Amino acid sequence: MTAPVTGPGVSGLRSGARARRKARWTFDNISFFLVFLGLPLALFLLLVIWPFIQAVFYSFTDWGGFTQEFDIIGLANYERLLNDATFKTALGNNIKLAIVVPLVVIVVAMIFATLVTVGGRGIGQTVGVRNSGFYRVVSFFPYVIPAVVSGVIFSKVFDPSNGLLNGLLPEFLRQNWLGQVSTALPASMFVIIWGAVGFYMLLFIAAIKAIPAETFEASRLDGAGRLRTMWSITLPSIRENIQTAWIYLGIAALDAFVYMHVLNNSGGPDNTTLVMPQYLFRLAFSQNQFGYASAVGVAMAVVTLVFAGVVFTINRLTGGTTRSN
Amino acid sequence: MSDSRSSYTRRNVLRGALFTAAAVPFGLTLASCATGGGGGDDETTGGDESSAPADADNPFGIEEGSTVETVIFNGGYGVDYVEFATAIFNEMWGGEATVEPTTEITAALQPRFVAGEPPDLIDNSGAQAMGFGAILPQLEDLTDVVDAPNLEGTTIRDTLIAPNVLDSGMYDGKLAAINYVLTVYAVWYSKSLFDANGWTAPTTWAEALELGAAAQEQGKFLFAWGKEAATYYQTLAIDSAIKQGGDEVRLALENLEEGCWSKPAVQSVFTAMKEIVDAGYVKPGGSGTFFTDAQAQWSLDQDALLYPSGSWIENEMKDNTADDFQMMGVPTFVVDDSSALPATALHSEAGEPFIVPSDGANVAGGKEVLRIMLSNEAATNFAKTKLAPTVIKDTVPEDGFGSTALVSQVEMLGAAGSDTFTHKFVGLYGLNQAQLVVWNSFLDGSKTVEALTSDLQAITDEARNTQEVIPVS
Repeated sequence: MTAPVTGPGVSGLRSGARARRKARWTFDNISFFLVFLGLPLALFLLLVIWPFIQAVFYSFTDWGGFTQEFDIIGLANYERLLNDATFKTALGNNIKLAIVVPLVVIVVAMIFATLVTVGGRGIGQTVGVRNSGFYRVVSFFPYVIPAVVSGVIFSKVFDPSNGLLNGLLPEFLRQNWLGQVSTALPASMFVIIWGAVGFYMLLFIAAIKAIPAETFEASRLDGAGRLRTMWSITLPSIRENIQTAWIYLGIAALDAFVYMHVLNNSGGPDNTTLVMPQYLFRLAFSQNQFGYASAVGVAMAVVTLVFAGVVFTINRLTGGTTRSN
Repeated sequence: MSDSRSSYTRRNVLRGALFTAAAVPFGLTLASCATGGGGGDDETTGGDESSAPADADNPFGIEEGSTVETVIFNGGYGVDYVEFATAIFNEMWGGEATVEPTTEITAALQPRFVAGEPPDLIDNSGAQAMGFGAILPQLEDLTDVVDAPNLEGTTIRDTLIAPNVLDSGMYDGKLAAINYVLTVYAVWYSKSLFDANGWTAPTTWAEALELGAAAQEQGKFLFAWGKEAATYYQTLAIDSAIKQGGDEVRLALENLEEGCWSKPAVQSVFTAMKEIVDAGYVKPGGSGTFFTDAQAQWSLDQDALLYPSGSWIENEMKDNTADDFQMMGVPTFVVDDSSALPATALHSEAGEPFIVPSDGANVAGGKEVLRIMLSNEAATNFAKTKLAPTVIKDTVPEDGFGSTALVSQVEMLGAAGSDTFTHKFVGLYGLNQAQLVVWNSFLDGSKTVEALTSDLQAITDEARNTQEVIPVS
């Protein structure tokens, strides 16, 4: 948010340039505030805060979505939410996603990033593996493909009768990947991970490049192997990036709507891939229960807040700082 | 891409949570949100109606040169058949009738309904159609359209294919929608394949089971299904149960009654289907297969012999049908001879519900376009270009424009006579998504009849308890 940062910065400049307190409300000043503080704030309030308040408000009503009439029913929607088995299933699936997806993406992206930056030959200058530029470009490709497209591609790949995957596998390993309880969620997770690794790899590459090369050289002179370097040098140095990645990935996993909707638009076998936004969408747009759907949305926001809180807490408990400087 | 973009928004929402606490004391009037504004709009029903005198050529008193805005679902039938009608309208009245195609009816129109500014004519169809329960009070009663003369001068009501064809648009005694396209729900097969093997299309579940054994001998399956269309088998089951148990079953399901899925007729159908599933006559893997791929396994690969569906299936699979397939339909099976309705009874439903909102700027114009569409000229054009019958009779010639499926539909409709029925609770209460999950599990063999029954009952019960039930009689 720009607001708190801009304010002190401006006054700091002013006070530095010999105090002229009476001239504080010049046209220059006021227009600056209006354009750089007022406008963003107004847009933010109108397009972000206001809809949010509306959603909270509607969660206390039985609004059907098509009329101007509704009754305020207090906490009834939330009461229903607590006893809603389908919602709990969806919440459980989202939690599974929020744990597995960030973990796998970060580990894989980290390994790739290390390989293409510092994983090269063990003597001389610190470099990535041979042809690392090529790998860097190629691994970014999945991220360029829109989620809907990769979803469609993979639902064809996973097709039990004519799919590519079953075609490559020997008979006894063939599965109805998206259609059975045991594999539907892992298969969906794989698609999300496949789509995300490239971007986070790039993020980590940028972070690793910012670590002074001398640090790597010094550790290598002291006899550290590649794994040791990664664990003791790279990881602590890019800790903040990992935390950011974790939160972003977690939030994406708590959503996951696009992938899940394309891969299994009804919620998968026994609802094993149903996620909260899908349930919200169903309630609002096919059952016309916008009030209850709003309550689901509010619950989603709360879950996301809790998730961010948990990540910050874990990072702090393990010795990191909570804020990047 | 999606994850980074959505995380930005979600993040902003999170930040917003902090501001929310700060913003509330500022006395923001919550009521003036998306629903805010004028409450009196509901009363103003189309001011145009009395502006010109009504006569046989102009039953709704339309003004010369007036504009009409239509929003049409752009699905399997496209929108060109409506453009055919609006072209006639423009010629007749010198006005401008526009057609806006969309697939996301609800997303496009929900805000406009709330604001009291809906378009004049809507084809409320497709997966994202608006639920009728929610918009019913804001719709015109279309009885006057049916009682108006068509362009050829005959009263439209007298040109309908069957008197009860309008029932699917009746909600609580009000003709809120005119369903334009006649859909026949049946079990479809390839006549050429059946003739080559000396098979006949089954009419009972016992015959179906026998046919399944014959199919298995040839390495084929009786049925195939796809994950998004598992509920086609629910339609099959409901239709069969209604034929077996009669209106009592239909009304119990339609009114979301307690224990409706436990009725003996429903149970006997479920048991028969379970037998077929357990015998391995259903092609496995459907719960992980795109429904169009599954349909191609039936129409192109001919791995499966039968496919239950609406009559749109011919058009839908046009590019994925084996040469000389000769698609034919057979009415849904009955359980045995003691069925309440004859074996020829048919689930036929008029689809593509056209509605005229009362708050539209030109209510008369919306009705006029609909009247043109219901005239013989436009209806024949539809049957010819879409190979599907409309609710208007005598638009399909003997040769069905070269389509065996269309001829078969007309034959089935003729054989059924007045023994046609339909049901609409699944779409009306938005149950399909939840039911898909249950049917996918049942068809892949992992659910028993008892579990199927209790799961479907739970979905019905939840709808009854959380939504307003519109009584059906």
